[in-house]
Amino acid sequence: MNSFENYITVSFEVNEKPVTVFTAPNRTLLDVLREDLGLVGVKHGCDDSNCGVCTVIVDGKATKSCCMLIGQAEGTKVTTIEGLEKDGVLHPLQKEFIEHFAIQCGYCTPGFILAAKALLDENPDPTEDEIREALHGNLCRCTGYKKIIEAIEAARDDMKAQA
Amino acid sequence: MSNTTENANNYIGKSPIRVDAYDKATGKGLFASDYFKLIPDLLRVKVLRSPVAHCKITKLDVSKAEAIPGVERIFTVDRSPFHMERLPEQVRFPIDGECIWAGQPIAIIAADTLEHAEDALEAIDLEYEELPHVLNVYEALDPNPKSVVDPNHGRSGTIDESNPWAKIGRLDVVDSKFAGEGVSPNIIGNYVLDKGNVEEAMKKADIVVEGEFCTGRRKHTHLELSSAIVTYNSDDSITCYGNGCGIHGVIKSAFVNIFELPENKIRTIQPYIGGSFGDRLAPYIEVLTAMMALFLKKSCGYQYTRAETFEGAPFAWPVYSRVKFGATKDGRVIAQDYDCVEEIGAIQNNVSYTGRLSSSGAVCVYDIDNIHMDTAAVATNCMPVGAFRGLGCPESEFGMEVMMNKLADDLGISPVEIRAKNFIKNGGHNGYGELVTSIGVEKCLRACADAIDLETPPEQDGSVWKRGKGCGVGGKQNTPLGRAEAIVRYYSDSSVEVLISCDENGMGAMTVMAQIAASVLELPIENVKVIKGDSIVTPFDNYSASSRTTYTTGNAVKIAAEEVKDKLQEAAAREVGVHKSKVIIHGSKAKILGSDIQEIDLATLFKNTSPYDQGNWGLMRFSPVEGHGVFCPAPIRKWGHDGLTKRMWNWFQYAASAMEVAVNEETGQVRILKIATSADTGNPINPKTVEGQIEGGSILAASYMLMEEPIFNEHGAIINKGLSDYRIADVLMTPKNDNFISLINPDPLPDGPFGAKGMAESITIPIAPSLSEAIYQAVGVRPMYFPMTSERILKLIQEKKAKEAENK
Repeated sequence: MNSFENYITVSFEVNEKPVTVFTAPNRTLLDVLREDLGLVGVKHGCDDSNCGVCTVIVDGKATKSCCMLIGQAEGTKVTTIEGLEKDGVLHPLQKEFIEHFAIQCGYCTPGFILAAKALLDENPDPTEDEIREALHGNLCRCTGYKKIIEAIEAARDDMKAQA
Repeated sequence: MSNTTENANNYIGKSPIRVDAYDKATGKGLFASDYFKLIPDLLRVKVLRSPVAHCKITKLDVSKAEAIPGVERIFTVDRSPFHMERLPEQVRFPIDGECIWAGQPIAIIAADTLEHAEDALEAIDLEYEELPHVLNVYEALDPNPKSVVDPNHGRSGTIDESNPWAKIGRLDVVDSKFAGEGVSPNIIGNYVLDKGNVEEAMKKADIVVEGEFCTGRRKHTHLELSSAIVTYNSDDSITCYGNGCGIHGVIKSAFVNIFELPENKIRTIQPYIGGSFGDRLAPYIEVLTAMMALFLKKSCGYQYTRAETFEGAPFAWPVYSRVKFGATKDGRVIAQDYDCVEEIGAIQNNVSYTGRLSSSGAVCVYDIDNIHMDTAAVATNCMPVGAFRGLGCPESEFGMEVMMNKLADDLGISPVEIRAKNFIKNGGHNGYGELVTSIGVEKCLRACADAIDLETPPEQDGSVWKRGKGCGVGGKQNTPLGRAEAIVRYYSDSSVEVLISCDENGMGAMTVMAQIAASVLELPIENVKVIKGDSIVTPFDNYSASSRTTYTTGNAVKIAAEEVKDKLQEAAAREVGVHKSKVIIHGSKAKILGSDIQEIDLATLFKNTSPYDQGNWGLMRFSPVEGHGVFCPAPIRKWGHDGLTKRMWNWFQYAASAMEVAVNEETGQVRILKIATSADTGNPINPKTVEGQIEGGSILAASYMLMEEPIFNEHGAIINKGLSDYRIADVLMTPKNDNFISLINPDPLPDGPFGAKGMAESITIPIAPSLSEAIYQAVGVRPMYFPMTSERILKLIQEKKAKEAENK
């Protein structure tokens, strides 16, 4: 049972805004993002880091938030799907996922977009094989993955053109 | 009246972006599981499940558990005021203390927090005496089985009269090897089809091929966990937010039937659904949650864990089949002798299992004069099964297609040409005697064969990876499943609302309905807003199953939009003073024939309310012109003793695939190098979403045919109930984009909206036989069981090598 005695204070940044939470240490980053901060675009699908729907970006790395204890988030910079659209303008990945029909039920979509963003931020010009390698921790039961890859390739090209 | 060539807003066959895509790409769209955050004061539900496949409960004491602070109530069969025997199959509690599958609910808890509910779960004192179990078709078919499962759960031999679907064909007296004296008591239904004279035809055949096949159990594995929230409202009504299908036809009707609630005390809301694939066609989690909410008069929420989705939700049913073809030497199949047995798990489901469902795949593709089919359904101590994309056809047609490939190989005929010789043609009749009005399977197959150059043997590189090519086809019936309704509203500013209750599991139904409405009304699709899935707002629709949505709901939307147009025509005609037939509606304008007024803006027909204009007649701003569409397929006609009827189902969808694989002869691993899959969709409404279904269906099927398999322990419980051990395809299983080809080859369906029909199920059917043949071409072994895991393929290779060594 949790009591306030063992609660911890964790300060980190979510979508460029500072956040401090006072919470039980056995909670995950996923729990806090969804339940305390209301960022329900971060999804929950399996609890053991196998499906990837809870993927967020922590300090530039695609991270499965179901397997990160909240204490580990101290001092980090976290990006969720809610942080991608800026001033009404979609991130190129969001735009291309929409335009390439890379979305069906949509439950895996935020995780895929963030995993892809972490990849493109690190490697602006990945090959198809590199994209596949970066995404194989994210599962999708609907699309067969082809249109997801096409969308990421298109976003890669958009971002290269903008750079 | 209106000429479509003039319609600048015809979206049929085009691919406007999905209407739900922005919501889903930004995380703004809410799924059922997101409502746990939004509903205040929510009690949490958990369920204690049987840890073994078959047992007698000897002790069940919840007193310690119920004393845990925060625990509101724990029900067992003895402690519940509800008829636990009336709960849906997957959540039916044990009768007389006998659990009949591992995962069967034994106790249900509602507590203030998830933690307290979980503590209570552990504090329940359960003791049991284990009994023998049967877990597969072969064990269950034994005339003296280790365990006799009563799938009617204490109502042996009786039919649930309240469920009209539960008795279709169940009481038929048939001449079946699976009926009568000396057969297993676990057989619960039969279907037999007799056409022509198979025995005589077999004698005339130049060649006879025969094989036995069996397919494994598979889990839908949608990524959103099954979830339900039921709020208890101040007027004693309940509101359910869930990711189950069928807000009217499944969930609301279950609440009314089970809890005897007035129909107006129930509201069911379906937010976005994180996949279904058939898993959520029967209500389970909603009913458990509603039961606790109704008893406690408090809001309750329940979300399955991933493990629970493997023990408390349906699997696809395994199918055993035996296929025997007799053919002429030029490849014409003249006789089909076919057995199939579907394994239904521990309880008869909401559909009637007799073998008829699965075997529907075995008579809808090929035109064969003499057919004998003998089919049955058998119960086991496994999780009760449910529909899964394809409804038994990927299973039943696997053997058909593998044998067709073998026939081609044995006769030295191309696998494409031998099929082309035998396909049913449009205007012909299928095995039941049904008239076939749409069948594009030959075009599909030829397109796939061309795309991967099927007839040219693959180049071998001398490594342990041996290459082979193979193909297959499939057909899937559409079951008439009742009515769909739609409301279309046209406002003065030509903005439109489409109200529907079909399910959007991700297939793109909302977008298709927007396209249909926009195209009929000749308006930009941006004008159309789709409102979906709230039972007190959106009109009746049974549920989205059997690929019926585009056809059934699509027709309803089309009818509703046409009614709007008709009313607008009438209003414009009255305004101008001409006969209605002299008015043509184009979008927001009416063209008038035979009048000095040649065109009017429809907006001008909608009056403002003012002191001098009270709005007592005619069209008014803010009060839309409304059309109500109702569409329902024709009923089936009961078959005779020979199993034949002019209408067993509705229409059929078809698909084909061809692929090149590499098989590692030292490890049995299979890699799909190149795949082409094609769907006969009727006229596709949105080709890009069709492609998405083709690609998704191909990989889903390849995934379960190569590696998905639950593993049971000695107690009959599944041990790999998580995504780390029950693996589904990841991106690395998908061929590279250039080698992953989706093709659309429509044969328009005369009664479909704009000639469209559903397509998402048949696409899964040709994958297994294509794989089996490609593996055979690569390493000379022909898998007759799926999943064709590396272990199984390696074993086949080793057996073949041993046999070859023996013969030397």
